[in-house]
Parts: sequence; C-alpha cells; structure tokens
Amino acid sequence: MDLVLQLLFTGIGIGAVYALVALGFVLIFRATNVVNFAQGEFSMVAAYLMVVFAVDLGWPYWLSFLIALAGMALLGMIFNLGVYYPLRHRSYLPVIIATIGASILLANSVLAIYGPQPQVLQGWFETPGIQLGPVYLDSQYLLIIAVTIALVIFNYWFFEHTLLGKKLQATSQDKEMASLLGISVSTMIMITFIYSAVLGGLAGILVAPILFVSIQMGSTIALKAFAATIIGGFGDVAGAIIGGLALGVIETFGAAYISVPYKDGFAFLVLVAFLIFRPQGIFGERVAEKA
Amino acid sequence: MSLTRRDFAAGIVAGLAAPSIITSARAQASTIKIGMCAPVTGPAAESGGYAIKGAKLALDAVNKAGGILGKQAELIVEDDQTTNPGIVLAFSKLAAQSDIVAFLGSIRSTQVHAMAPDVLKLGKPVMIGGTDPNLTHMGNQWLFRFRPNDSYSGRVIAEYGVNTLGKKKWAILHSTDAFGTAGGKALSAALEKLGSPAVLDQGYANQSQDFTPVVLAIKQSGADILGSYFTFENDLGIFARQLRQLGVNIPWVGSPSIVNITALKLAGPALYNTYGVADYAEDSSEASKAFGKAYREVAKVAPDNQSSWTYDAINVLAAAINKAGSTEPGKIREAILAIKKFPGAEGEYNFDQNGDGLHGYNIVKNDKGNIAFDKHIEFTD
Amino acid sequence: MSVESDNMRGTVSTARSRPAVLRHVPYFIAAAVLVMLAASMQFDGYVLNILLQATTFSIAVFGVSVVLGLCGQINLAQAAFFGLGAYAVGLGTTDLQMSYWLCLVAGCLVAIVAGAFLGMSTLRLGGHYLAMVTISFQQIMTLVMINAIWLTHGPDGVSRIGRPSLFASSQSYLAFCVAALAIVGYIVWHLPDTKLGRAMRAVRDNELAAGVNGIDIFKTKVYAFAICAMLGGLAGGLFAGGFAYVSPDQFSFAESIVFLTMSLLGGVASPIGSVIGTGLLILIPEWLRFLKSVPGLYLAIYGLFVILIIRFMPEGIWGFVTAGFDRWRTKTKAPPAVKPLQLKPATTGGDIVLEVKGLSKHFGGLKAVDSVDIAVRRGGVHALIGPNGSGKTTTLNVLSGLYKATSGTILLDGTDITNMPPHQRTAAGLGRTFQNIRLFRSMTALENVEIGAERSGNTMIGTGGHAALTERAMEALTFVGLGNRANELITSFSYGHQRLIEIARALAANPTLLLLDEPAAGLNSTEKLELHELLKRIAAQGLTILIIDHDMTLVSEAAQHITVLNFGRRIADGESMAVLRHPDVVSAYLGSE
Repeated sequence: MDLVLQLLFTGIGIGAVYALVALGFVLIFRATNVVNFAQGEFSMVAAYLMVVFAVDLGWPYWLSFLIALAGMALLGMIFNLGVYYPLRHRSYLPVIIATIGASILLANSVLAIYGPQPQVLQGWFETPGIQLGPVYLDSQYLLIIAVTIALVIFNYWFFEHTLLGKKLQATSQDKEMASLLGISVSTMIMITFIYSAVLGGLAGILVAPILFVSIQMGSTIALKAFAATIIGGFGDVAGAIIGGLALGVIETFGAAYISVPYKDGFAFLVLVAFLIFRPQGIFGERVAEKA
Repeated sequence: MSLTRRDFAAGIVAGLAAPSIITSARAQASTIKIGMCAPVTGPAAESGGYAIKGAKLALDAVNKAGGILGKQAELIVEDDQTTNPGIVLAFSKLAAQSDIVAFLGSIRSTQVHAMAPDVLKLGKPVMIGGTDPNLTHMGNQWLFRFRPNDSYSGRVIAEYGVNTLGKKKWAILHSTDAFGTAGGKALSAALEKLGSPAVLDQGYANQSQDFTPVVLAIKQSGADILGSYFTFENDLGIFARQLRQLGVNIPWVGSPSIVNITALKLAGPALYNTYGVADYAEDSSEASKAFGKAYREVAKVAPDNQSSWTYDAINVLAAAINKAGSTEPGKIREAILAIKKFPGAEGEYNFDQNGDGLHGYNIVKNDKGNIAFDKHIEFTD
Repeated sequence: MSVESDNMRGTVSTARSRPAVLRHVPYFIAAAVLVMLAASMQFDGYVLNILLQATTFSIAVFGVSVVLGLCGQINLAQAAFFGLGAYAVGLGTTDLQMSYWLCLVAGCLVAIVAGAFLGMSTLRLGGHYLAMVTISFQQIMTLVMINAIWLTHGPDGVSRIGRPSLFASSQSYLAFCVAALAIVGYIVWHLPDTKLGRAMRAVRDNELAAGVNGIDIFKTKVYAFAICAMLGGLAGGLFAGGFAYVSPDQFSFAESIVFLTMSLLGGVASPIGSVIGTGLLILIPEWLRFLKSVPGLYLAIYGLFVILIIRFMPEGIWGFVTAGFDRWRTKTKAPPAVKPLQLKPATTGGDIVLEVKGLSKHFGGLKAVDSVDIAVRRGGVHALIGPNGSGKTTTLNVLSGLYKATSGTILLDGTDITNMPPHQRTAAGLGRTFQNIRLFRSMTALENVEIGAERSGNTMIGTGGHAALTERAMEALTFVGLGNRANELITSFSYGHQRLIEIARALAANPTLLLLDEPAAGLNSTEKLELHELLKRIAAQGLTILIIDHDMTLVSEAAQHITVLNFGRRIADGESMAVLRHPDVVSAYLGSE
C-alpha cells in the first residue's frame, strides 16, 4: 500500500508535467489546427533562460522567473511570425514539418550557445520535500501539481468569463465567423502562440529542478505530452490535463509492475490503443470532416 | 529527362571525387599524422572536447621531446557526431588519407563495433577506449584498448563490495544501452563467481525522467549494496536524489560515471560517500598526478578518463612507433603489444596479446564532493 | 512529378503505341552507365561509404516520397521500417545463417506487414494522429531493438552481416545497390501514372472528392503506406549488407526526421528530388564539418533550412527546377476528342432510379434531415430545394455517403446503398459535384477527368487501358467546351470553368444518377446560361439528374419534378409548377407571419 501511494504521487507529479506541456499543445491546436512539434523546446528554452538569469547572473529567482516568461512571450511571437503565419493558408503537413524544423533549430541553437553539459537549477523551496507517513512528497512536484490545478481554474475562468477568452474561443471554433464579428483573427492567433509559449516555458522552469536543465529535456516530455493530448481528446483543455495525469500514472505503475526499460513504450501503447478503439479521446473531438 | 538524370549523377560523382583528389594531392607530408574520431557534435560532444584536449596535451609533449621518428606529429580530428554511421564516415574519411599512420577511435563500444569492419579492412592500428570486452576478443588484431575493459570493472566492483565492504546482497542497476548492458552482465557474472548472486538485476532506459519505481524495487529487494552502470549524468543525478529522498542509504559502488564531474555537480550531496571505479584517479600514481597537473593548466577543468585515455594512447603510440622505427602497421602493432610496465595516466600498461593494455581499476570514494583515491585492484588473469 | 507522363499524353496517339520499355531506353542506358561506373571507378573507402549510404537512403526516401508526396500522408517512422529490413538481413545472415536474398525478401515482407498494419489501424483518422502514431511506432521499435537482447543483440548491434557472394566486394555491392536504386526509381517514377498512383494523388489533393469519384480512400492510403514501408525495408536490407553492422541508434526517430527532410529538400513528389535531397543531406554535413567545431551550430542551421525550404521552396529543389518546365508543358495543346461524349446510363432497374425512404440524419439532438422520402424518375431532372439550413446539402451528403444515415434506406437502381462507403456508391453508379468546387488542384483538367472516368463499373472505357481513359476524358472535356485546354493545371481555370471540369469529371464516369450540388452558385449570368444549356444537353442524353440549387429560374426551367425541404422535413413534392405554387413552399421561402 505504501508502495502504491508513493507510486501514485510520483505518477501524478510526472503526469502534471505532461499536462502542463499538453495544455500548450491543445491551445495552439484549437486556434490553428496545427500540432506544434516545437512545444517541448519552449520548455527547454525557458529553463535555460532561468539558468542564464538566476544562476549565471545571480539575479533574484522571482525576477529571473518573470524575465524568462517575458522571453517566452517574445519567442512565441517570433515563432508565430516566422513559422506559422507564413504557412497559415497551407495544409497541416507543411506546418508540422516547419515546426519540426523549428524544434531542431531551437534545440541546437541552445546547444551551440550553452554546450551540451546539463545545468542545475534550484527549486523554489529550500526544503526538498516532506515525509508524510510512508510517502515522501517532493516539494517541487507538489508545486507542479498546485500550479496545474491553478492553471485549470485560470483557464476555465479566462476562456469562459473574459471577453478576450471568449474571442479566442470564437476564433478557434470558426475563423470566418470570428472575423465577420470584427475579431482580428491574426491577433487572436498571436495571443494564443504567446500564451502557449509562456505555458510551455512555465512547465520547463517548474520541471528543471527535478530533471536538470538539458537540451533534450523538452523533447522527451513533449512526446509524452502529445500522447496525453490525444488520449484526452485533441482540442480539449480538460482532456489534456486528465490525459497527462493518466499517462504519468500509467507509466509509473507500468514501470513498477511490468518493466522499467519499456517504460517509455507504455505511453505509446496506450496511445495506439486509444487511437484504434477510441480515437475521439476521453472527452471526444469531432473527427468527421465537414463536406 | 534521362540526360538530366545522368548529368546529375555525374555531377554527384564528380563532387564526391573532388575531395579525394585534393587529399591525395596533399599526401606528401612532412609530419607524422594520427587520425582521431571524436564526438565534436551530438550528445557526447562535451566529453569529445575533453578527449581532444587530452590527446593534444600528449601530442605537444611528444613533439617537444623530439616528435615521432624525428618528425613532428599532427592530429587530424574528424567528428563522429556521437553516432555509429557518423563514426563509420569519419573513420573512412580519415582512412582515405593514406599518410595517416594510426588512429584514435572511440570511447563508446558500439561505435568501435561499427567501425571495426573498416578497421580490419584498412589494417592500421586503432587505439580505442570502448570497454566492451568483446572488442579485443573478436579477431580484430588492429584494436588496442587504453582503458580496462568491463569484465574488469564488474570484477572490481564485485571484489570491492564483497571482500572490502563485506556486503553480499546486491542490487544491480544498469542502463539498457550497450555500455550499461555489458557492464551489468560483467558485474552479475563476477558476483556469481564470488558466490553472492545479485538479488535484483534491473535495467532502465536512458533519459528516464523518474526512477521512483526503480528505487522502490531496490528498497523491496532487501539489498544491502548497490552496483550501478549509468551512462548519462542527468539520469544518475535524478536517480541519486530520488534514492536518498526515499530513504535508501545502502553502500553504492558505481561505474566510472558516478565520479564524473558533471554528475558530481548535478547530484551534489546525494552522491556523498558513494564509491566508484575509475580507470583514471588523480592520486593513484605519479604518472596520473603529472597528467592531472598538466591537464588542469591547459583545460581549466579537472582531469577525467575522457581525456586520460587519449593522452595515454598518444604517448604509447609515439613510444611504440619510435621503438619500431617505422610506420609500417605490422611493426607498430608488434611494438604496441610488446609494451610492458609503461606508466600512463590511467595506470600501468602491460599489453596482452588481445590488445588490452590495462587489467585493473582504481576504487575512489566521493568524500563530500571530493574524489579520493581508495585502492587499486589489479587482476593478472 | 507528372512532367514526363503529361508530355506523353500530349502525343498520345503516336507514343502510346510504342512499348514503354522502348520509350524509356535512354533511362535504362543511363542507369546501366551508372551501374558500370559504380562497379569500375576506383573509389576510396570514404567515397564508397558515402555513395553506399546515399544509394540505400535514397531508396528509403523514395518510400517517403510515395506516402508523403504522392498520397499526402505523413510518416515519421521510416527509420523504423528501414531498421526492420536492416535487422532482417543482419540477424538472418548471422544468427540464422540464411541466404542474403531470402533475408532481403523477408525484411521487405516484415516491413510491408508492419506498414499495412500501422496504416490500417490509423489511416481512417486525420493527419496529426498519423504523425503521432508513426512516432509511437518508431519509439516502440527503438525500445524493442534495444531491449529485446535475445533477438536483436540489444544495443551492441549486429556485426559481420553477410553479403551475397556475387557481390562480395564493396565495389560490386555498390553497383548492385545502384542497380536496385535505378529499378525502384523507375517504378516510383511511373507510379503516378498508374491507377493506384492517380488514386493516391487524388486522395492527397482532395479526399472527399476522391471518395465520391470512386476511389477507395482507405485502401489507397494503406497501399501507399505499405509501399513506403516496403521501400524502407528494402533500403534497410541493402544498407545492412553494405555496412556489415547495424545497431539501434541508426534507426532512431532522429533518422526518421532526416528521411523526411531529405524528401522535402529534394522535392517531395519526385524520385529525382528524393535522390537530390538524399545526396545533399549526406554530403552537406560532410562538407560543413568545419561548422561542427561549435556543437549544435550545424544542426541549428539545418533546422533553419527546413523552415526556409517549407516556406520558400515547397516543391523542393527539383520542383523548383521543373517549375519553369511545367509552365511550358501546360501550353501544349491536347488533341481534341474524336467522337462526341456518349452517356449511356445503366437501365437495369425500374422506372425509379433513386428511391429514398424515411431518410434521417441527426447530429446529436439536431435533426438535420428527418424522415425524408424522395423518388427520382429515370431520365428526368429532379430538383431538391429549400431555404438555407433546410437540410438539402446534408441530404446530398448522406446520399453520396459522406455522412452515415441515422435511419432510412437509399436504393439506387434497386441496389441498397445505404451503408456503402462513397466509392462503392460511385461504383454502383452515383456521380456528384460539390457546391464548393472540389477538384484535384495539383493536376491538369485532363487528369482530373481521367480519375472520374476510371471508376470501376464504367462501361464506356472498354478494358480500361490508359488510351481509353484519355479518350473518354477528352470527350467529357470537349462536351463541356474545355477540350482545347485539357493539359492546363486546374489553378489556371476560372471559377466557372472549374465547375464545368467538375461536371465533366462526373460525366466521364458515365453515372446512372448525377447529383449536382448548387452548380450555379458563384456563377455570373453568362455562365449560368451556359450551365443551363449544358444541363439540357446532358438531360437530352437520358441521364438522370438530382439537382440542388437556389436559382429558381434554373430549377423551374430545368426540373420536371421538385422536392422541397424545410427544417429537415419534406414539405412538398411533385411536378415543378405545382410545387412552386404550393402555399407551404411559398411561405417557407418568403417567410410566414
């Protein structure tokens, strides 16, 4: 039982990381119908920005945090203008490939600047964790879970109860209709990219103290997060969260009870099973194309 | 249409041929050339940099002392991109330069495996750092190893844990890559021989983000000592922290990566009081100390095995060629195999007929972040 | 891609008669020269390795060009298929001591099975799912290669892989690979002009239109995927023999991306492009090694170039080169049709061609179509009208199989087609056009119409040879007045003409029943007149038409029979003039208090 609880906590913690990155995927997908393969690199870049400001320059953690997020907003903007916007009228295929190109570009630019050695980033808290009965709770994982919950609430409020959120939703549902209503579609898409880059960055900064800061930190998480989005149902915020958590738990228990080396395979097996038996995901996406 | 196709193909052939023509034009050289395949790019680019520095350090010393056969020695580095196809290309590029007399291969066993057929075909000596025991036991007479192979690291870990620390219930944890698998196997076999087979033999995939299930498995197995083969420092760091967080404090003897500088930086206190086998330990001998001092001056970082084996390889190679008095491959080979009691940074080289130069390991201890030499365990069989 | 094929089509009557082998003699001579060069030129080991790598990789990239370029589906697991072939040869020749040839074939088979299975499980879903599933497959394959040590030797890899004794030397093996490349290249080059190839292009350009033109979309995609996987397997087998050593890291996700980029760089739709792309991406890293002194710099530039290529050279290098050639080609005039178009709809059934009974289509709670009955008489023009949102287009989509009926039955010439997928309905004799024109935009007008003509069950194309197809298509194009522009790309036609081409495409299939979805939408008054004339000429040949339109003049003049829908229900049905005067119809259109 102790074992199960410990695994459950870790699974949820890891799952929350996937969920955070998955959220970024979903937002961009809803707004543009495009899968952003560079989402994981957003996390990685943000973590390196933290290393630059908080570690190398020694600035206060909160200040570095704000600067890093601002940097991510800028990156989201550049990404939209450089990668998505010129291709917006083409099919999903060129855009997918361009985002793959962008992910190679980002990862290796950081490699060129910072070198391949992993970096250490301290967490928010001095105490590494607390022992709660038989279960050890890593403070950084606790923080990640808390932030994920907060973001779910924030997203709900933002998309359902603010004008900007509603405009964004309208844009993601029907671009033509939105533009007829006087909503600037390109501005909305820009905001979406900025928001999703910031979210990805947030995930990266939060997870960096656990996984260390390395070039490949983003891509491994992003693949899982991507699987989580599909399991949750593409285009659904709640689905991404549930999918992420489910994946984290499945993976952890699979590793504990079935096989450690094949751990990464479970995510993909679950994914393929979902695609075959329930392609609309847990929450369901309209799969049919309009005639 | 077909014309375009033919033109294009001819173009490609011409484009390809051009570099080789240029190379053959430069063939009349006044230096002794040594080729080196090193990861300048890719996941091991960092350690590749160390390896090149180590080799250059030795090369400078050799040249200062009069060079090889009276000529200055020159190192020609090709990037192997840390991949197998990469090293095959890099090596064939070097092999195409007929005036290169010998080569430095890789510290990664799979890469050595990948280039081995080409090495055999070329028939020139290649110094390697890959520690898969098979490399020198598969009938390829041109491979010479400058690190103790994994059968020794496994035996040393087992020997130290069982006989020095007195622990019998072993948990083995290893990466499922080539290096980790070979190491895990060697350790498991050595424990078997010492009469205390492992109670847990667990593999993990590189770049795992979480080791909780592994730590819990170790906890449950009731093991009182841990032997590990980690490949990447970030995996090691994550594991070490989770191991300590979940309250596992049994003695831990690890493969060389456990005392690697990056690992020490990442894991910090989580690795205190662990033991590692190290082919290079700065305090293990006079030659090691000398190399450490020289390397620190040049590279501004602490020396490690990435740089020490290339350093030794160049030194041994230079000595062997000088002794052979010729750059003829067969003669160099004989001279290398004849080397006995050669003091290197890694230890004392006594080449056997398989091409293995070293037959033992140092045990070092992580004493609050400082790596302290503990003892050297040497095997003669 | 279709450069050569179209030229040939331009001179159909003369060139067609010569056997293909003769026409392509220059290709085979060039290929033979290349093979001889590969066998005889003295390469050093480095050049040999590079050539061997380029040759085998090119074959794998051919696979990507089929699935991505020809069929428009993404495959991010080509390295896994490549690995399957490589491991088949690797393990077969070493552990099992089997013959190289047997292993090569086994590798291709394993890859085909894996590819087809992967395709069958996911190709019904959209593109981003496919991207994800192929990535998953790639990851799982990598894990198996690393961890199933009993089978794959794990990360150590397999060394000392055998070669056939005939090609024991590296030089002769290279020649063998070049020969394989030439043969596969020839097949891939001509694939677009086969029935399967046309189907793939149609699926790529417009899936919905492909379906209603009689193409089994799913089967086409699975074939494309299986071919891609097979070429990956073949290439992997050749690679393994060439390098004598394989290990899991050679078949990683990163390698799949490399294959994809090679294909994109050279030109995704062409085997020549594939070779160029592959060659460049193998050579460039070699030439740019100096850049690699800064780790990451080279790959960063590489990533940047991927973005730039996609942005500025979507057709790749070869597409860029041939673009000018293309413009010249479309100027060539096609020979006019010899005889006028004949429409000979089947007459097997009774008086009623289409009988719809109690047809409903519900979207969740919304009853878009609610128990509608329609009976279309043979040889007549029947109109389906109704205000916006009345369920007309939904009805048409249910009829042509794009939507599944919630309840009710549809009989076409007495055959129950209610549960058939679109392509089977087309085979049963249904043809349709779309309100928002759905043509295959990368093809010429002639090619579009040929795809229509190719539907299975078309009795007007004889045995279905290419010459017969072209003839039939030219007749249809001439019928709508565009015969002299047959070789022009769709994009060069005006909106009105595109609509005519779409009608010609449906006519070429010689359907039993033609569904026209708002054919007058977006046309100016002259074009409307022309359309009207065209409808008359079609009806005169006895073809049954079911038309949806808003244009009351068109409907009242052309149709003898009208069915009116409102809010998904049938509110009137009968002879045209009577229906139009029906009070319910009037109030539905003009609104009632």
